[in-house]
Amino acid sequence: MQNKLSFHQSSVSLDIVGLPDYSNNENKDQISIISQWKLNIVNKPLIEGKIEHLGPIMNAFYIYSNLLIKNEIPIYESELIDIKADNLHIHNIVLKSSKPNVKPLILKIGNSLLSDTINCFDQLNESSKVRIKKTGFSKNIPKKVRIGVFNKENIINFVIPPFIAIFTLILLSSAFIYFHNPIENKEKIEQINSK
Amino acid sequence: MPNKITIWKLRNNNPLRKSYVNNNIKLIEFDALIKITVEMSRYLYPYIREILKSKEDLEKNSVIWKDFNKRLIELIKERFNLDSMRVKKLLNQTENDEIIVKSLLTLSLCISNKGYEKLKNFLFEF
Repeated sequence: MQNKLSFHQSSVSLDIVGLPDYSNNENKDQISIISQWKLNIVNKPLIEGKIEHLGPIMNAFYIYSNLLIKNEIPIYESELIDIKADNLHIHNIVLKSSKPNVKPLILKIGNSLLSDTINCFDQLNESSKVRIKKTGFSKNIPKKVRIGVFNKENIINFVIPPFIAIFTLILLSSAFIYFHNPIENKEKIEQINSK
Repeated sequence: MPNKITIWKLRNNNPLRKSYVNNNIKLIEFDALIKITVEMSRYLYPYIREILKSKEDLEKNSVIWKDFNKRLIELIKERFNLDSMRVKKLLNQTENDEIIVKSLLTLSLCISNKGYEKLKNFLFEF
């Protein structure tokens, strides 16, 4: 028997169907293995897809809303989903099917439905009953946003270890100078040559 | 926040207000204001949503948007320093739509349990 969880926010609902991971001794009502998901927006076609599509679609909405709020160009494009602002109030969503010969699904949603959808995703993220594997996150982030995600701390963590390594090598190699005596070495070579 | 008067006094840290006083707001007070804002937007989400929705359909008469905008402008004129360029921008009909929509959208996206962290991030990156 599969578990079903629904998250609602005004005109949007998100249904998650799946099973608990019994190998991790999880509770009966937990969902860790998602088998099906549906995003239902009132007066719009039903959105459903493969399990591995849920994460990238959620990320697309989050990244797009961040761009929108931070006054950056609100365009998100990926192999799976494109989101673009038609104007200040309407957003154009293109969902591309992975199956051949299937036309992309085009939706136009306003700010109210956009915030409902993101609030549904927030509920799913914060739910203790569902665990989602986060996949394909960094792959689809536009360059501008990457700077925001990899913040100063991450950059410092990335840059400092090689610097420490280089300085340690310099320090160690300079210590070897004390053991190396070029005059003594010359004498040794001369002795060998005279022999 | 010990009482409402403390919140009322903290509002004077806003440089756009007529009664602006630089009291050097403490971090704990800044956090408290964010928490209050998140709680208020959670409570007012249905209204925020309706205001945003009323502006979406250009063919329909956006009465809710007009009422909200009218009241907001009244409050700005009553309480804000009208000599400030930023306040003038807020009162400019052609420019303030974007500011209002984005502010309402920001509030509507911060109603989850982690809304406090979200709003704080938005404000720091503003």
